Amino acid sequence: MMLARVADSLYWLGRYIERAEHLSRLSSVMLNATLDQTDSGVQAVWIALSAVGEPEMSSAIGSFEAAEALVLDRSDHNSVVSSLSRARENARQVRDQITTETWERLNLLYLKVTDENAKRDFADGSTSFLHDVIADLHLFKGAADTTMSHGESWRFMMLGMYLERAQLVSRLLEVCFAETPGRQINDHIALVSLLRMACALEPYLRVYTAEIEPRHILEFLVFDEDFPRSIRFATSQIEANLSVLARRAGGDGAGAGPERIAGRLKARLQFADINELENQGAGALLTTVVNECARIHEAIYETFVAYPLEMRLPA
Amino acid sequence: MTEAAYLPGVAYDEMFAPGGAVRSHYDPLHARMSTLGGDELADRQQTLERSFLLQGITFTVYGGESTTERIIPTDLFPRIIPANEWAQIEAGLTQRLLALNLFLDDIYGDQQILMDGVVPRELVLGAPSYRREMQHLYVPHKSYANVCGSDLIRCQDGQFAVLEDNLRVPSGVSYMLANRDAAKRTFPGTYRAAGVRPVERYPDLLLATLKSMSPEWRPNPQVVVLTPGVYNSAYYEHAYLARLMGVPLVEGRDLVVHDNMVYMRTTTGIRRVDVIYRRVDDDFIDPLTFRRDSSLGAAGLFNAYRAGNVVICNAPGTGVADDKAVYAYVPEIIKYYLGEDAILPNIETFLCREPTQLGYVLANLDKLVVKAVGASGGYGMLVGPHATQKEREDFAIAIKADPENYIAQPTIQLSTAPCLVDGRIEPRHVDLRPFILSGEKTIVTPGALTRVALKRGSLVVNSSQGGGSKDTWVLADDHNAQGASPGNGATRP
Repeated sequence: MMLARVADSLYWLGRYIERAEHLSRLSSVMLNATLDQTDSGVQAVWIALSAVGEPEMSSAIGSFEAAEALVLDRSDHNSVVSSLSRARENARQVRDQITTETWERLNLLYLKVTDENAKRDFADGSTSFLHDVIADLHLFKGAADTTMSHGESWRFMMLGMYLERAQLVSRLLEVCFAETPGRQINDHIALVSLLRMACALEPYLRVYTAEIEPRHILEFLVFDEDFPRSIRFATSQIEANLSVLARRAGGDGAGAGPERIAGRLKARLQFADINELENQGAGALLTTVVNECARIHEAIYETFVAYPLEMRLPA
Repeated sequence: MTEAAYLPGVAYDEMFAPGGAVRSHYDPLHARMSTLGGDELADRQQTLERSFLLQGITFTVYGGESTTERIIPTDLFPRIIPANEWAQIEAGLTQRLLALNLFLDDIYGDQQILMDGVVPRELVLGAPSYRREMQHLYVPHKSYANVCGSDLIRCQDGQFAVLEDNLRVPSGVSYMLANRDAAKRTFPGTYRAAGVRPVERYPDLLLATLKSMSPEWRPNPQVVVLTPGVYNSAYYEHAYLARLMGVPLVEGRDLVVHDNMVYMRTTTGIRRVDVIYRRVDDDFIDPLTFRRDSSLGAAGLFNAYRAGNVVICNAPGTGVADDKAVYAYVPEIIKYYLGEDAILPNIETFLCREPTQLGYVLANLDKLVVKAVGASGGYGMLVGPHATQKEREDFAIAIKADPENYIAQPTIQLSTAPCLVDGRIEPRHVDLRPFILSGEKTIVTPGALTRVALKRGSLVVNSSQGGGSKDTWVLADDHNAQGASPGNGATRP
């Protein structure tokens, strides 16, 4: 049993944490790629900024400034600092639901990125700054995993995290491999950067060796069963968490419960393969994933949070 | 630490007796303090502050780009109270809360005390905190104020006196617990050697108190903590108590009232609520009954309460018993209901509503502390000896315009205790806020929040006015064995 408002906050906490991590990684990879004055670097910057919906940003203000804005700009609702502030705001609202160990990890990180010296620290060593942010987020997830009961609270958080992840990875792949932008990425170093942005380089190498090819990257990031940042893995987690939550809620089984939408999406990824994806074009499937995730999000809200009261009041 | 640097003033000092001898109950701490160098003290202070920051025991200072978090200043050194003194405090507080609850039961019942002319009728019924809606309502165990935080001070003669009763939504208990946690880490050896009574049971005793307020036919009552929300300055405490009691922390928008029953919205539908420990002021708990512009409460909550389907703790309307004017009558109230003299004295109080006393107050503004009856938190207050002539004149005008709204008390030199200020150990004025629970039983937690006026010479300890706090050690036994201290849970006769 938990409050609807609390479930909502935990869900958003998961989403913002994931968003902050993804953005930090994009910024970090982008900054690293620009160290070499090559066309690959330019491509990497373009990938990162397109994935956050600002492809023109680097030509306008330069890539260091762009990264700084992605990380530290408080007026930008999608920056790392904004995401962490919102994550903490949500955590504060459900402070009684998360363990002290979990809270402290997040609070510490929040204090670091909102510190008055954060800008200076970032300028002094942006790579180590971002490395620390990402490591702290991993510690947060680890603390949550090892200290919180894996009950409702935790599941709502995981739900938010994996939904956000599925959408972010889909968006990143869309930028690189969807047909419409007409800008297929083939450059080796740019592709390595892409794998780094998905935190996938080392696991990828273990499966495909150092042959970095778009086809393999797509296969790995969309269909891999075991890699935690593949879309298939994320959707299967979404489905698993939702089916437990729905079972506990004892729903009437009518209507488009979020677990049904999630189940369909999971099955689709489970039974498709890379040949099919290439025949139909990657864009179609990736767009479907993004749209279905949005539908799941709405259905979660309608089922667990903002359900109509009339149905639930005692007669 | 060198004794020469520490210069207590005319006030009673908690650590040093007049003449400079260390009071025996401070011996272990004093010995420890003497061995610590300035660097080490600064280190420990920093560790302490860092741990508060990490836990989020902070308030937010908003300022555009530079929104920052500040901790409530916390002092390194505990304040120590010997067992024999605590025994008197405990007995005095138990007696006082018992009498005040009986007073509330009477005021919201037959009003016998008003008929007998012990307390002026208009003083009670005219108080803004009096709630006509509470008249003739059954309150279990006659416990209106389930959680009470009284403010005690130690006067120059070493005697404790009650400065104020807080029967509405007293806060600060989380700081008591957090300070204890910190003190145990800072002075583990001294703590163990001193034999300090634990305060850690507060959350479960609070839960038991709240459950005891639920009717018998609801055997497993659902308790919740009602908070105004995350922007409230005491939010940390609300979340802390909910977490340690293991009950949901709800906001007004989580509650639904239907057919005079209160429910909360959960992910699996709505669920009945039995006891609400509300940290929302009376005025805001129900827009249908009290302030209509409130969005912090739940519409219909008070009707559900009147119908006996939910318990609100503290009961609405308890404020009439901690009104600053009613305060002056508490010794008579104790005498009236219990036939006993007050164990803990009041501070002499002048009511400006009485013409003779008004004259005295106006003539002696430079010696008195004047307080607005309706205000709290150190606002609307004049500390005569520390005020400028202009401030006193302005206050005189305000008092004459609305004498009923003011009371005055002599300026008491609150006792001082050693505090670490800018790397030096200096005396600062302190008060004492113990917490008393009252449901089926009355329980005085053996500990307290000691509030500190951090500015040199200042007598205002409120955190809103730059005050800080420190841990308070109540000793289980005095070294000269003056008898064991009484246990918890004095049962109501």
